[in-house]
Amino acid sequence: MKNKVLMGLAVIAMVAVLSSCGKKPQAEIDAANAAIEAAKTAEAAVYVPAELAAVQDSLNAVTADITAKESKLFKNFKGETAKLASVLTLANKVAADAATKKEEVKAEAANLMTGIKTVIDENVKLIPKLPRGKEGAAVIEQIKAEVATVDAAVVEAKGLFDKGSYMDALNKVKAAKEKADSLNAEVKEVLTKARIKF
Amino acid sequence: MRIKKIWKRVIISIIILGFFFLAVFLLVRFTPKPPEEKVAYARIALSEATSSKADTYSKNLYREAKAMYDSAIINWQEENKHFIYFRNFEKVASFAELSARKAEQSAKISKNNVTDLNIYLKQKIDKLNNIAEQIDKRFSYYPLSSEVWKRISKGKMLLKESEVAYRKGQYTQAKFKVADSELLLTESYEKANTDLKEYFNSYPVWKNWADKTIRESRQNQSYSIIIDKYSRKCLVYLGGIKKYEYHVELGKNWVGDKRVKGDKATPEGMYKIIKKFGSNKTKYHKALLIDYPNEKDKEEFKKEIASGTLPKSAKIGNLIEIHGDGGRGIDWTEGCIALTDSEMDVVFKIANEGTPVTIVGSMVNLDQLLD
Repeated sequence: MKNKVLMGLAVIAMVAVLSSCGKKPQAEIDAANAAIEAAKTAEAAVYVPAELAAVQDSLNAVTADITAKESKLFKNFKGETAKLASVLTLANKVAADAATKKEEVKAEAANLMTGIKTVIDENVKLIPKLPRGKEGAAVIEQIKAEVATVDAAVVEAKGLFDKGSYMDALNKVKAAKEKADSLNAEVKEVLTKARIKF
Repeated sequence: MRIKKIWKRVIISIIILGFFFLAVFLLVRFTPKPPEEKVAYARIALSEATSSKADTYSKNLYREAKAMYDSAIINWQEENKHFIYFRNFEKVASFAELSARKAEQSAKISKNNVTDLNIYLKQKIDKLNNIAEQIDKRFSYYPLSSEVWKRISKGKMLLKESEVAYRKGQYTQAKFKVADSELLLTESYEKANTDLKEYFNSYPVWKNWADKTIRESRQNQSYSIIIDKYSRKCLVYLGGIKKYEYHVELGKNWVGDKRVKGDKATPEGMYKIIKKFGSNKTKYHKALLIDYPNEKDKEEFKKEIASGTLPKSAKIGNLIEIHGDGGRGIDWTEGCIALTDSEMDVVFKIANEGTPVTIVGSMVNLDQLLD
């Protein structure tokens, strides 16, 4: 009698062990999701979009694998747990890369805003030296309007920069700098042709 | 007896194990299978759509594809909670197939949109750069208001911003900026162009005056002066041949004829010098007074008062001169024609009372000027 009971218990235990080997690695899933959210908060979508897309895809793949394993009778999540650890590492790297790239863009925008001020100041000094003559009149009016527009663009760029939208600020100030540089070149060309020292 | 007992236990164990493995076989063989391959295919299709920037250039379809994929996974997870034999993965398969189809479509549409946008933006940017060039070419000498210049400058700045976005592949942003730029530049250009063309409708009259003046100079072998307002030139003819050409500065509102005192317009018409003022008689170095308003001008003025296009209190202008003190680089006079002092010395020397002074908008027609 005792042996029969022991035999029965052994069978039940065997079934229980085999059918529930491995628990879903929920903690690792949550950690990976949190890391990706952190990367999004670090504006990875703006600064390193391809990397963010890649890590998101990796997490999707692991999630699908885990769900597939959950469908099975005998589950083993060892492989998926390891993959989740890789996703976590990658997501942390994406967040770090986003922060680095953001600082680079911020520095570039700041440099351009300093550089453009120099060009604008020079333009303002050179405009009164433009040669007198038929070209002077309306062209000066035109150039003054364009200098004012560049000024306004720089103010907008500064506003974006102060808000932390460094990529938008960079794009704006880049365009303004190109405009200021071309004005500067135009004015210098006219002065050179007219043999006016500057 | 003992051996019999051992064999009995062995046989019972084998039978129990046999039933166990049979149960396992039945569970594994006949349970519903989840559509793993379909879900994997959908995931890959979605990933490729993302690489093709479908989330930007085929937004709605991409979002639908993503929603279908998420539904597939959620549904799958829900089915996993049921007892293994009662799971139904039909919906999961359906969502996965739909997701894959939409993802593939969105990727295809995105690629087409990117190509089309690239071409569209390049053409637009080229067109607007051409308009900006035309504006610079046509209106360097033409007094557009500061408000118009502001709009043109803003349009040019937006064009520059759209070029930066285009170079970075940010086509959606470039498209918006190009649209705003186009509005500002084309409106300003069309308005200014219409005004300029309207002004040049008087070209046949100006040509007639200029030809007559040169003819008289040739016939009489005398000096005649023609002022070309658009080109800012004072042309001195002797015997029908151009002898001197000088730059002039005019009234701020030089476009069109002078209508009333104080309008800062330089008149148009055929005049004569009626008085010479040496350096002690004028604050502008030297001056030549012309007979504005002539009879034609007075007649025009009366008509405008009668028709009400000028108020009854308006006064006709006078004291229009060719004088010195010019070379300031802008149109600054009250309607007079200013030369530099040294050039005024030359004109003052050759001119006499009675010397013809013809003031025209342009001696060259608009098409030739723009060429």
